Amino acid sequence: MKSSLQLDAKGLSCPMPIVKTKKAIDTLKPGEVLEVQVTDKGALADIPAWAKAGGHIILDQSEEAGVITFFIQKA
Amino acid sequence: MSNKVAIIASNGGLFDAYKVFNIATAAAASEKEVAIFFTFEGLNLIHKQGMHALPMPAGAEHYAEGFTKANVPAIPQLVEMAQELGVKFIACQMTMDVMSLTTEDFIEGIEVGGAVTFLEFAKDAAPSLTF
Repeated sequence: MKSSLQLDAKGLSCPMPIVKTKKAIDTLKPGEVLEVQVTDKGALADIPAWAKAGGHIILDQSEEAGVITFFIQKA
Repeated sequence: MSNKVAIIASNGGLFDAYKVFNIATAAAASEKEVAIFFTFEGLNLIHKQGMHALPMPAGAEHYAEGFTKANVPAIPQLVEMAQELGVKFIACQMTMDVMSLTTEDFIEGIEVGGAVTFLEFAKDAAPSLTF
């Protein structure tokens, strides 16, 4: 999947993945896609909840070798 | 749906600081308007020197290693992040008077107010939280 911006938030713990994701998405235009990689298990529930709060759409979510990747389309 | 989160910080330990600032930054990053009212021991959390040496609860000192291992951000870093995200810090005037503290003792960018200042903000906030 294509993204306009990649964010590496691996190794960070709550609430930093959310804070970094928010800052990154602020730099995008509506409709653009942000790719976020995290290792914080809490983000599995937190990133979708955060996206819902802002109206952003999770286009794809996958997990491989402990790294969780989200593709988030900005509202 | 309310777009405000109101937090009372009334305790001054390291664990208290994480509870307060994690919720506050997460809420602010989720487009909420956030205010924290710091009162009594809670003033420690924004005290220029105090915030760098917040105590662990007695008997919990062994968790220090866990904080490092989990790569948890330091409190001053979380405070800076919260302010950057627009979280409003209100220090309780009455407690400051009792403890002989002035705005000079605290980090930059705080407001000083009384209970009513906080209540006005919190009257249509959901959730309101106390730590």
